[in-house]
Amino acid sequence: MTRSSAVPAVPSSSASGSGATGRGVRVARAVLVVVGIALIGLGGWVLTETVSPTRYGGLLVWLIGAVIAHDAIIAPVVAGIALLVGRTGRRISPAVLAIVQVGIVLGVVLTLVVVPEIIAKARGPKNDTVLPFDYGVRLGVAWLVVVVLTALAVVAWTVLARRREARRAA
Amino acid sequence: MRNARSATVLGRLLAAAFLVCLLTGLYSHFLQEPASWMRFPTSPVWLYQVTQGIHITAGIASIPLLLGKLHAVFPQLFQHPPVRHPVQVLERASIALFISTSVLQLVTGLLNTYQWYPWPFPFKQVHFALSFVIIGSLAVHIAVKLPLITRYWRARDSYDADGRFVEPSGELDPARAEHEAVRELARMRRDDAPTSTSTSTSQPAAAVHSAPQPRGLVGRVTRWIDDAREPERDPARSRVSRRGFFGAVGASTVGVVALTAGQSFTPLEPLNAFGPRQRGIGPNDLPVNRTASAAKVLETAMDPDWTLTIAHGERTMAFTASDLEAMAQGDEHLPISCVEGWSQTARWRGPRLVELMALVGAPSDRSLRVTSLEEKGGYRVMLMGPEYANDPTTLVALEVNGGRLDIEHGYPARMIAPGRPGVLQTKWLSLIEVI
Repeated sequence: MTRSSAVPAVPSSSASGSGATGRGVRVARAVLVVVGIALIGLGGWVLTETVSPTRYGGLLVWLIGAVIAHDAIIAPVVAGIALLVGRTGRRISPAVLAIVQVGIVLGVVLTLVVVPEIIAKARGPKNDTVLPFDYGVRLGVAWLVVVVLTALAVVAWTVLARRREARRAA
Repeated sequence: MRNARSATVLGRLLAAAFLVCLLTGLYSHFLQEPASWMRFPTSPVWLYQVTQGIHITAGIASIPLLLGKLHAVFPQLFQHPPVRHPVQVLERASIALFISTSVLQLVTGLLNTYQWYPWPFPFKQVHFALSFVIIGSLAVHIAVKLPLITRYWRARDSYDADGRFVEPSGELDPARAEHEAVRELARMRRDDAPTSTSTSTSQPAAAVHSAPQPRGLVGRVTRWIDDAREPERDPARSRVSRRGFFGAVGASTVGVVALTAGQSFTPLEPLNAFGPRQRGIGPNDLPVNRTASAAKVLETAMDPDWTLTIAHGERTMAFTASDLEAMAQGDEHLPISCVEGWSQTARWRGPRLVELMALVGAPSDRSLRVTSLEEKGGYRVMLMGPEYANDPTTLVALEVNGGRLDIEHGYPARMIAPGRPGVLQTKWLSLIEVI
């Protein structure tokens, strides 16, 4: 939506250029910075107006914890797995790797969303209509479905690739 | 796959999802805490059901989108030296703020739908305050990255004829690189316009390997990693790996949405494997949030001498349950829509509120204060603007889904109005005052 305004006047402007990133971009950046800082300030003000100062410490711990959980645990583990797969899988077709990767990521994201649900259910919901299912069993079934679908996709791709190669050879 | 184009593609999807969350969240917030001059639409009756369903669903969709975005830019966390340009102080500070607040927002938001609150701060207030901080830090981040975002907005400006990513030429200094990126795009466009594409693609392709690389130990590790992925230098392989990455983010986004959104949206109901609620489960085939025992109304609600009092200044009328049953009954299909995202349309039956108000001579421009039998609780007293009080579909419901209201659903009588959050559909009615 910002493209037309943000990209500097392309065709007719002088080739030497002014060295500027373009007026549109400069204005848009300035507006975004001002609006952004104002919104951050508004959020901080709303926080002080509605949340007791005795809770700030706990909130800060959770905010820092969120960064640590991602940057120091989730991201390095994911990067490590991606690396291992990349190194060990060099002989495997990249398309097969990509298909397997889709399956694994789907399963892991579902697990991330459902595991807290399993814990919340184990802790005892407020009434029977909250968290009515056996989410552990369902997560197991979901993994099974993901594994089967991934395997089918790999087989289908392999068969198609071989046929394509045979046709090329012939 | 870890390039500015991927970051741009995921970034704009995530920004769109967050904006949708902000707008639907603000709507929900002001429905519950309106300024005195605010009036809201009562039609279509499913408006809040849809906005809040979208709020929760877009939030859930943001989980894989945010993880994918962070994965795409992860190595930049270790760039060395950490700050190369004053602009980067702003950039890194805004990113740190954005990541911590948005990760916390998504985690607490998700757990709120499971009604699990393991944190030492109030959910609702912090969720509201953080929403502004998130959008603000996102705006600053977009401002810093705007030259790169515009440079890589379109796929055809991002990859050369062989499918190789075209790095922004220029200095290692990212602030300069971004600056360069826009000028380069302008140059490409200029070259593109009069002649064929052959000249424009050859020049940026030379810049492929001039990507700014981290230095030091981290840089060595990064290069080792890159060597491990050397095959991806092959454009065909890198295209496949890119598709695999976007396939993974796409499949997991579609997956989590499809398997949870059935609690809010009818077409997805058969797929509702992981939603924390299921339509049709509960007394009167309807889920419950606050129970009668939690509200401590088990005795007062079952009292045979219960009456609903309606007060308009000096004029006060008391209605027994049989008085209400003897009145003309309205039938309406109205959704009960929880702030936690689940919703279900039910068949409600009871006297129309407008007719009760007419009995005490209440003018049509007045608000109502509605009080429950609950002894305490944030929603014991509910304010209702004239747009709901005068809407003919608003009922003092005695029946739901063809049966007398279960005590969990507000026996002997509850309010049900179109387009309002469930917490404002006051159960176990006791008093209605015209104010």
